[in-house]
Amino acid sequence: MVIEFHLNSRSGVAPYLQLIHQVRHALRLGLLRVGDQLPKVKDVAAGLAINPNTVLKAYRELEYEGLVAARPGIGTFVTGTLGGGSLAAHGPLRRDLLRWLARARRAGLDDESIEALFLSTFRSAAEEDIA
Amino acid sequence: MTAVVETDGLGKRYRRLWALADCTLSIPAGHVVGLVGPNGAGKTTLLSLAAGLLAPTTGTIEVLGGRPGAGPAQLARVGFLAQDAPVYAGLSVADHLRLGARLNPGWDAELARSRIERLDLDPAQKAGKLSGGQRAQLALILAVAKRPELLLLDEPVASLDPLARREFLQDLMGAVAEQDLSVVLSSHLIGDLERVCDHLIVLVGSRVQVAGPVEDLLATHHLLTGPRRDPATLPAGQQVITASHTGRQTTLLVRTSDKILDPAWTVSEVGLEDLALAYMRQAGPGRRNHHHLEVQK
Amino acid sequence: MIWLTWRQFRVQAAAAIAVLAAFGVVLAATGSHLASLYRSDGVTGCRGGGCGQLASSFLDDAGAGAYSVVYALGIAGIVLAPAVIGLFWGAPLIAREFETGTFRLAWTQTITRTRWLAAKLALPGLAAMAVTAGLSLMFGWWAAPIGQAARLATGSSFPLGMGPFSLLAFDAHGITPLGYAAFAFTLGVTAGLLLRRAIPAMAVTLAIFAAVQVVMPLGIRPHLFPPDRTTAAITSLSSLSGATHMSGGSFAFTVRNLPSQPGAWIISTGAVNASGHPVSTIPAACRHQGQSCLASHGIRVAVTYEPTSRYWAIQWTETAIYLALALALAGYCFWRLARRLS
Repeated sequence: MVIEFHLNSRSGVAPYLQLIHQVRHALRLGLLRVGDQLPKVKDVAAGLAINPNTVLKAYRELEYEGLVAARPGIGTFVTGTLGGGSLAAHGPLRRDLLRWLARARRAGLDDESIEALFLSTFRSAAEEDIA
Repeated sequence: MTAVVETDGLGKRYRRLWALADCTLSIPAGHVVGLVGPNGAGKTTLLSLAAGLLAPTTGTIEVLGGRPGAGPAQLARVGFLAQDAPVYAGLSVADHLRLGARLNPGWDAELARSRIERLDLDPAQKAGKLSGGQRAQLALILAVAKRPELLLLDEPVASLDPLARREFLQDLMGAVAEQDLSVVLSSHLIGDLERVCDHLIVLVGSRVQVAGPVEDLLATHHLLTGPRRDPATLPAGQQVITASHTGRQTTLLVRTSDKILDPAWTVSEVGLEDLALAYMRQAGPGRRNHHHLEVQK
Repeated sequence: MIWLTWRQFRVQAAAAIAVLAAFGVVLAATGSHLASLYRSDGVTGCRGGGCGQLASSFLDDAGAGAYSVVYALGIAGIVLAPAVIGLFWGAPLIAREFETGTFRLAWTQTITRTRWLAAKLALPGLAAMAVTAGLSLMFGWWAAPIGQAARLATGSSFPLGMGPFSLLAFDAHGITPLGYAAFAFTLGVTAGLLLRRAIPAMAVTLAIFAAVQVVMPLGIRPHLFPPDRTTAAITSLSSLSGATHMSGGSFAFTVRNLPSQPGAWIISTGAVNASGHPVSTIPAACRHQGQSCLASHGIRVAVTYEPTSRYWAIQWTETAIYLALALALAGYCFWRLARRLS
């Protein structure tokens, strides 16, 4: 097995999303390369004691995003990479964010308020994207 | 999708007491269904009815399109694991496998053997001397190796320690993945079910309180907190499950498929355990209806 | 399913074989001595009137010493065997499955409840009948000399007072033990099915079986075949091992055996007058007089009895009744189990 999954049942994030994140993270770090086989559904379900449908859903989502492809009877294999390079490549975005954080501090917001403001804006923006 | 279990007004009465009443369900195939509820809610009764161990008092139940327990063909398609995993204490593990092989034409001896090996069970060990976890594992092998289409499990992990519980669920999920099983499993420990179930039925006071795919339930139930308000003022599409009030604040658990547009509410998600508990609370003793419970603090 | 039934029945089968073996050993050890005693006392092949005497002396010899103990144990063993079978093979058969919950395992295998019950009944049921048949046969072989001598002997009491029709002897000989075993077994199974607990089922089985075993010989067996009647002179009462009982104005006769019908089963005795009507009050003239006064009034002893020629007819009929009861109980069990499905 190339990678191994784990589950944080207390994180509030749906299990299938956690699996997707772990695959994407592994892709980004280069632990998973094109042609590698993802762990079999049966093994992930038995290993983590989770519903096989959860694993199937994660793999289907990854397939929809073009990152993996399922070969019936054989397994699921990595077909794509995650473009966008490393975080270091997003220098301008990072600088904008630092400037915004400084402004937020000058406005008197503490850490929790900053986080709350960011998360609620992020979530409503995401919903608008979907809607 | 075809239904593995279909009931219509199903009821079971013992002398004066209705163990199960007015149960109308359609459990789809290909899922792991969690059946939750407090003790005495009727979970064992429903599973026993589905396995053909009991006959209904009123209503009908169809399992895999047939009458439960009616003949060898029907019995071969349904596996059952009773509470506390009963086994024949005087028979060894190997004897139990022989039992399975002789009493089930569809018995997969290789599957049974490999599972026993993987679990490191001593075939010569008398079943009465096994630990609770090992007995549950043996009973699971017996139920699974006959290659059923539907597996019914009555509180399979209730009396197991955490490690045994996890190992049992691992084995169960492995079997589900390998054999494409549909499973209905009852428990009063909801935390375990969150990982394995993708369909939920909440049974309280002998009645079904809520049933549906976990994903849908989580998406349609929301926790609303906001300034003190009368729940009756909510829009029609929003069904209030539980409500509690302080002097200034109201907290509601609401079920709706619409978006919550009212900006006065802070909307948060509800976990599966809290959702199930809310339904169990609102249907407490004496409340056999779907109205919400108001709690004054 | 037969394999499973056998596996669950193994211990009981071993116990039964042990008992049969022990029984057999004891009987074999003493039986040959008994047979040679029979020969040496000259009773073998004896014909004619003098045989009665030889037979009596044989019975006296046999009564002394170990033989009567073995005889008593044999009778006791065979009479108790059906009850033991009913309690320990019948009552726990289904009750234990309910108590331990294993019925939930058994009934969800690919086997109908009918087939399950059929296998569970067949093996122990047939074994029960085989065991009692074995015991009865062995004991019958052993006690043959005693039975022969008892038929020939006149005026002597049977060992332990048991003619072939006496309560315990009838229950321990011939074919009736099979019927009792089948009945007791199915009674135990039914009790276990209804009560769902082994110990209460055992208690109920014992109580009902004991009651039936008392009611049958006292209330039903005498009426299976119309009995024969005969009358005799009062003066012959003593030769009939009989007596007169007088109290107040009424009297009664009792008779223990009929020399003309050795081994017959005396069902009842009474007094009849010259025209054959029963009497029980003493005629006025005979108050405070003896038997001869009654005789002079034409009063005779009347005996209702079943002759030994009816022995096997009664045995088979009674066995048939018990087997019918056993079948009815088994049928009820099947019906009751199948009922849960509908």
